Amino acid sequence: MRTSGLTTPERSAASDASAETERPSRRSFVFFGALAATAFLPNQARAQSRPRQRRPAEPVPEPEFATQPQNESVAAFAEWESTIGRLVRRATYGATVAEVAKANQLGFQGYVNYQLNHTRIDDSAVEAVVAQRWPLLSQPSDTLFSADAGQVRSQLQEAMIYRAAFSQRQLYHRMVEFWNDHFNQDIDKVGYLLVADHRDVIRKNALGKFPDLLKASAHSASMMLYLDQTASRNTAPNQNYAREIMELHTLGVDGGYTQQDVAELSRVLTGWTVQGRGVFAFNPAIHDWGAKTVLGVTIPAGSPSLGAAGINEGEQMLNLLANHPSTARFISTKLLAWLLGPNPTETQISAIASVYKATGGDIKAMVRAILNDAWLTASPMKLKRPFHFLVSSLRSTQPTIATMSTFNGQLNNLGQSLFAWDTPDGYPDKIEYWAGNIVPRWNYASVVSSLNSTTTAVVDTTPYRAGSPDAAIDLIDQNFFGGEMPLVTRNGLLAYIKGGTFNDARVRETIGLAISANAFQWY
Amino acid sequence: MDDRHDADCGCEEYNELSRRQFLATATAGASAAFFPAWLPKVVMAKSYASTRDIIVSVFMRGGADGLSLCVPFADASYYTSRSTIAIPRPDASAATRGVNLDGFFMFPQAMAGGTVAGTGGLMPAFQASDLLVVHATGQLNNSRSHFDAQRYMEVGKPVDPALVTGWLGRHLASIPPLKPDAPLRALGVASGLQKTLVGGPKTLPIADPTNYTVGGSATTQAARLAFMQTDYTPAEEPLHSAALDATNTVALLKTVNFTGYKPANNVVYPTSSFGRALRSVAVLIKGDVGIEAAQVDIGGWDTHSAQDPIGGSMFRTMQDFSNSLAAFYADVIATGFSVTLVAVSEFGRNVRENGSQGTDHGRGTVMFAMGKGIAGGRVIMKNWPGLAREQLDSGQDLKVTVDYRDILAEIVQRRLGNPNLNFVFPSWTPTVLGVTR
Repeated sequence: MRTSGLTTPERSAASDASAETERPSRRSFVFFGALAATAFLPNQARAQSRPRQRRPAEPVPEPEFATQPQNESVAAFAEWESTIGRLVRRATYGATVAEVAKANQLGFQGYVNYQLNHTRIDDSAVEAVVAQRWPLLSQPSDTLFSADAGQVRSQLQEAMIYRAAFSQRQLYHRMVEFWNDHFNQDIDKVGYLLVADHRDVIRKNALGKFPDLLKASAHSASMMLYLDQTASRNTAPNQNYAREIMELHTLGVDGGYTQQDVAELSRVLTGWTVQGRGVFAFNPAIHDWGAKTVLGVTIPAGSPSLGAAGINEGEQMLNLLANHPSTARFISTKLLAWLLGPNPTETQISAIASVYKATGGDIKAMVRAILNDAWLTASPMKLKRPFHFLVSSLRSTQPTIATMSTFNGQLNNLGQSLFAWDTPDGYPDKIEYWAGNIVPRWNYASVVSSLNSTTTAVVDTTPYRAGSPDAAIDLIDQNFFGGEMPLVTRNGLLAYIKGGTFNDARVRETIGLAISANAFQWY
Repeated sequence: MDDRHDADCGCEEYNELSRRQFLATATAGASAAFFPAWLPKVVMAKSYASTRDIIVSVFMRGGADGLSLCVPFADASYYTSRSTIAIPRPDASAATRGVNLDGFFMFPQAMAGGTVAGTGGLMPAFQASDLLVVHATGQLNNSRSHFDAQRYMEVGKPVDPALVTGWLGRHLASIPPLKPDAPLRALGVASGLQKTLVGGPKTLPIADPTNYTVGGSATTQAARLAFMQTDYTPAEEPLHSAALDATNTVALLKTVNFTGYKPANNVVYPTSSFGRALRSVAVLIKGDVGIEAAQVDIGGWDTHSAQDPIGGSMFRTMQDFSNSLAAFYADVIATGFSVTLVAVSEFGRNVRENGSQGTDHGRGTVMFAMGKGIAGGRVIMKNWPGLAREQLDSGQDLKVTVDYRDILAEIVQRRLGNPNLNFVFPSWTPTVLGVTR
């Protein structure tokens, strides 16, 4: 622990170089001297100039007749050769040398199991900082009701960045991000209610059983408000939540439900609402007691005399949705896309859906099945979304942080302000959505590498200036690329650091370039 | 592909080029190497580049209630269906009454300057016959999912998961640049590129065009950008093109004076994000940097509860929308720049209000087209379908009588000079409705 208020609990041992330092040999880049020179070449010609390795198992259509841009499957860098490196990049927010060393020590499956047994990983240092720095997050909703709305928002956002960057439970936090999008809500609409949702629904169940997660979400005051369930009543059902729980949370848009099912489910869910300051409640007075049929299952007409038992209709439907084969496939497809890449094969989807069915939707079991060497090797690279990019830069630079507000503001500049995506589908995980937003990344890299203020944050360049410029680049390779920095980036950084006086400013700029580099955008 | 001349285009000469020739000529000296791999044969016009309109495409995200944006006050069912959120007729005495357009439709005050006088907002453009309202329009695909409906509308073809490019992106890809050496042909004012523009060559998302630069020391900036150029040379697409376009665009936007910009006619743009976005687009258009398309979004239309188009939530959204468009009209269109603006939404909302003074997802809605080349001053549709229960789609929604692609296709062909309609809107044979002059 460092001194100034807020610190990063673990600094990577920069000198603790792991075995993963073999230099690239298989791949020789074709240099064109200037970017513009390549731009005139048709896509196919450029593509052929680059080696294609570790392509997905399925054949990629010929570009000439492809119906869509060839941007879905991106071959990994030749330097990304090690099995452990692949695993760590996918299971964490950044393959620092310390993380890679840990994984090498534990072995492939040992590291997967270590990350999946997340409650056995001591996270007390991080949680102590969170408790001290962002105290609102442990408060109940009726206390948060009177808290400053801006404080609630920034505490939620800053703690999520901090935990993702510095918690040892890296895979767990990758899954928190995933479920946070899956059950996305906009804090502009739900306000302080989101604190309890994020804490007691998402974080509590991120590596639990999907049916538990689904039910917790369906009993969340925040979700009730976000999708207008609070406005739904027997005389005028509101269909918003009924639609999204099927389209986005369980079955998927092609999961086999109809508009009639949406209308019927909305009737089933009448009465599911919020009472008081953020308390989920079932209100029998506004429940529709008539008979309904959802997905072929009929709920017979009830009677107001049943009172609170009317909630059981909805519980029955949640079980129906959680156990539906479309849900098993939809969740499996999304998990595969999250951990491997955008186009999972039918074989993969079936395999993970089988795990879902066999384990009652056990998220750990599905993740364990997905993170195998063969599938990781065959999967394309994924582009870091801004949150992932920013968090990985914190893991690599290990700043001493006085306030997280700088980083929170930067994440907004990068286009992924947390808890602020207004539609319930969550931030996209698509290359074509994020790829164009490259200038804000370069800007951020310049900002973070320049941090040298004890009132905001300090990135310490001393270790990088302890030896030669070449040693500085080696250290960047370790801290930013887990020892697998592509050759083109190494050459570029070496040229840059040697292009001026070897001092603090030059080193900071070089670090900024490492964060700006092509290879740092992928995982 | 339809390679025939279209006599309606008013263009003199076409060349039919193979894709290879297209790459060699149309984009030579430009870039866009990544995208046209899938580009089929297209018809290229030779000599009309200088007469094309620039297009500003607005997406009203969330499913905008067309019955509040342009109210069919003469259909009595409007008032019986909306007991708390209906807007009083223009001939009512209420101070909240609407502004008559043609004896059947009216604008709410929010669209006409915000007061009972009804002379502001979109009224000047409407009265100058430069603003067209298309009613009972939308898409034929009947998805009531925001995400499906937005995707299909932006892609320009319903229910084709294989098609990921947007209609405006394909337009840009199938027509030579307005300025051959322009580093940036189109921008989406957003952090991520909107689907409408996906596939467009030299097309970038720029959340804030007034501040698009790479920070750090000015003295080392060139050397740092040079590192980026080399480092991204072997980058996979689409990052490769994005990096190239970004470095060129940073240089371009440095030459544009956003802060000192003085709009024409003493126009003041709203300070909302939508107003600021249109202001930035206006600066770029007037700066003549080669921009030929911009995508701008405005949210806030998903009015499930407390809709209140008279003084509340939707009033404010409509006022932001109309005042921003009005500023853009007075600043850019009325001063003679060749620009067409279109505004669409993924669907409308139920005719009957729900129990929370709001409306749920529906079908037919309105769209807008604005420009000197638009035959405006009218509210058009293919026969008003009516709002009585038996006249509604599924017993609940305004029917879609005009496919939005009919409007866009006519604009693409006649205002944007692109005859490749089968490429821009695959599997759709548009009906020409005469929305352009």
